[in-house]
Amino acid sequence: MKDYDVAIIGGGLLGSAFAWGLADRGLRSVVFDEGDNAIRTARGNFGLVWVQGKGLGMPEYARWTLESSRQWVGFAERLRRETGVDTQYHRDGGFVICLDDDDFDSNVGLLEQLRREAGDGGYEFEIVEHVELRRRIPIVGDVPGATYCPHDGHCNPLRLLRALHTGYLNRGGEYRPWTRIGGLQARADGGFVVSAVDGKVVAAAAKLIVAAGHGSRELGSQVGLQVPIFPEQGQVVVTEKAAPVLNYPTNYVRQTDAGNFLLGPSSKNAGFDTSTEPATLRDITANCVRAFPLLDDFRVQRVWAALRVMTPDGFPVYQQSDSHPGAFSFACHSGVTLAANHALEVTEWVVRGDIPERYRPFHPRRFDVQANPASR
Amino acid sequence: MNPDVVVVGAGPAGISAALALDAAGAGVRIVDEQPRPGGQVYRALEQVSRNRPESLALYGDDYARGLELMTRLSASGVELSPATSVWDISIVDGRLGIGLVCDDRAEIVYPRHILLATGAMERPTPFPGWTLPGVMTVGAAQTLFKESALVPDCRPVIMGTGPLVYLFIRQMLAAGVTPALLLDTAPGHIPVPLWGDLLRAFVSAPKSLLKGVSWLRQIRHAGIDRVTGVGSIEARGDERLESIRYRVDGRTVELNTELLLVHDGVIPNSHLAMAAGCEHRWNRLQGYWQPVLDANGLSTRAGISIAGDSTAIAGADAAACSGRIVGSQLALALDFIDESRHRAETLGDRQRLERIAVTRRFIDRFYRPLEYFQTPLDPDTLVCRCEDVTSGEIQQVAALGCMGPNQGKAFTRCGMGPCMGRQCGNAVSHLFAHCHGKEVDEIGHYRIRSPIKPITVGQLSRLDLD
Amino acid sequence: MFKRIQPVDKPVHLVFEEQPITACEGDSVAAALLAAGVTAFRQVARGDALRGPYCMIGNCYECRVEIDGKPNLQACQQRVRDGIQVRLQRGLRKPGERDEP
Repeated sequence: MKDYDVAIIGGGLLGSAFAWGLADRGLRSVVFDEGDNAIRTARGNFGLVWVQGKGLGMPEYARWTLESSRQWVGFAERLRRETGVDTQYHRDGGFVICLDDDDFDSNVGLLEQLRREAGDGGYEFEIVEHVELRRRIPIVGDVPGATYCPHDGHCNPLRLLRALHTGYLNRGGEYRPWTRIGGLQARADGGFVVSAVDGKVVAAAAKLIVAAGHGSRELGSQVGLQVPIFPEQGQVVVTEKAAPVLNYPTNYVRQTDAGNFLLGPSSKNAGFDTSTEPATLRDITANCVRAFPLLDDFRVQRVWAALRVMTPDGFPVYQQSDSHPGAFSFACHSGVTLAANHALEVTEWVVRGDIPERYRPFHPRRFDVQANPASR
Repeated sequence: MNPDVVVVGAGPAGISAALALDAAGAGVRIVDEQPRPGGQVYRALEQVSRNRPESLALYGDDYARGLELMTRLSASGVELSPATSVWDISIVDGRLGIGLVCDDRAEIVYPRHILLATGAMERPTPFPGWTLPGVMTVGAAQTLFKESALVPDCRPVIMGTGPLVYLFIRQMLAAGVTPALLLDTAPGHIPVPLWGDLLRAFVSAPKSLLKGVSWLRQIRHAGIDRVTGVGSIEARGDERLESIRYRVDGRTVELNTELLLVHDGVIPNSHLAMAAGCEHRWNRLQGYWQPVLDANGLSTRAGISIAGDSTAIAGADAAACSGRIVGSQLALALDFIDESRHRAETLGDRQRLERIAVTRRFIDRFYRPLEYFQTPLDPDTLVCRCEDVTSGEIQQVAALGCMGPNQGKAFTRCGMGPCMGRQCGNAVSHLFAHCHGKEVDEIGHYRIRSPIKPITVGQLSRLDLD
Repeated sequence: MFKRIQPVDKPVHLVFEEQPITACEGDSVAAALLAAGVTAFRQVARGDALRGPYCMIGNCYECRVEIDGKPNLQACQQRVRDGIQVRLQRGLRKPGERDEP
């Protein structure tokens, strides 16, 4: 059994970002991951690095998101330079297309409130009426308009995962697949012992990061971490490829670097069910055809449902255990958008052993109604 | 109108099952993507017998025998939906739903039960140069022959082994085409451990065995060069196939040809069953995934049965038997017939299947899938034709810690193109197994997603859910 | 690569890349093209490699062509019709050109 500085439970987008960042800081870490068929949220990801509309009711989250989107530029460039893997990040801004006037009004209202809440955070957006929208996105359908936010962007989430893995391994990081973790225990002399589901001890580490997606709830509870998350199903439709015609990501459709259009995503609370539903697929495609009529005769390449990690208020849950200092858990549904912050900033908290005061709102104690009656 | 049962696939298994259900009084709809029933084995049979009956003899007796099935189908109460493809099977508001698309219209039909009889497909054969125009499967050439009376206008090279290869060569000889060379991937002699199987096969079905022997003799007499025990091949050319290279007895032979027909056995066409969530297990001997079924042909997904070659490869006769049995089992389960009638009407087929199994045992052990195609180790060989992913890239991501085909998709896009992994699935699982020192069943297969057959965004957006 | 051993009794006329082709009723587009000596059906998206039919039963998607402006149709699954214009599928479909709503 080896001794590590940090053991990371979960090799998804969060775990991989932490692994990369810790390796970059010179720490010896190990990542435990499940097998080929693990419930992997990265696979269902739409690939947005998205700021627009996020953070209503929690300005810290709006700022955190905006900061990550700013960090992304340099982050993507570093990954490309160090690993040769291009995450295909583009930050040309994104559009929220509104299919009717009511939709348009309520979306503008939401963004205005966010701007007020964010204060000096620099939350920018623009209202784009139909004629101007057509000029910027010639293939858009007969819709009243859209809102545009220059901070939005998109990337290839699968490339991001690959870049993080490659960079981590290049720095000597250890990756242990097919190892489902079942037990986390504090050692008498400090630090933790990690064991697999079969009870076999697989590592000892000074610190722990639980980033095991839907497995975090149970694992976290063993070391005093409350991870109040539940699966939210999102269905996505992918079309055949085409030459590039849509340069901006939108709320309904984005065209990937490979040329496919991603349509969706829907959201629904469906337990751990990952099956797609014809009615949902019909609604997704109907909206997307209204927004982009040229998609009508595109062949559907595949449809899928993935399970997002959702928290009761939709905002991240970040914490260090009170009873077991050194054990951290991080959970959120924005693994792509927040990847830059996770890799560059959160790893510093882990090294230092402290989550800064200004990020306290991300602690799950906000769900304690007595303590915080304002929580939604 | 929702039928009691939707049968997917109008080949021997599907038609036989539909007829059994129809005779029992069930409402049956049979769907097939082809314009006419018959499946791959009886493809275009009605057309040939109507438009050019004199050429039926070219195809051999077994082909014409399918006509009886077709005649019975059209005389029955079974509703036939040709040119209709199945793009999805899911649970819709608690009901089993099957998504069909025909003539630009997509709908969901809600039968009480679904019977999959999706037949077989040829095992893909990745090797250097297999993507060049001019490299096709033997089955592809046979389809052209049945459907359009096309034959090679040159002397093709044929690589592969097994009954289909020999039958095809015999059909070509009858049509006046003499292949230049047969690169037989089976050994030249039957190994001693298989003698017992061969003897039992002979005792059980002497005619089939003798037929095989006579086909081989015809091949020899026709002047076709036959090399046995061939283990590898390379196709070369610029814009199309120009030559091939193969190794035999430690030397490399190069030969010019413009058409190479390859065949490495057939495997269940299991994409729809996999997409529907039916559990599959790896059959190590035959080298394919087959559905896990109970004694009544029921898959692990409620409301879905599977019959014929899509359960395990045994040929057209066995498929028809299996279809009748599973059809009858379903009629019993849905209360259209009673136990005694079911036993009586399936007894003969069960005995026949046992006899066929004895012959198959020899065939499966002698005509093995070629390791060279199953695990294409040459790094430059394209395994994914759709996304142009090479074997080398798969091996590289495996070294990076990528565990299997599903993560491999994420890392390389392998299997994410229009064929949805039909061509690369087995090769990719084998490559991961090779790189990680594991068995194919430990590695697993792609998770198959809808839609299984083409549907457009517009068709989906206008989906008829009632 | 292929020839017909039966005369064309019910002819269907189509065009492949400006070249007139006579096919037989009931032919798939793939059979019609192969009988007319066409070997390359599509060009890959990256690079200039050419592909043609491999499986002929709708599984491999290598025989994709453009028919009457509609891209990426499987030639082995499409039947010939009088007057159709068939073209090589050149890489990805190009929505700006033919697909403008």
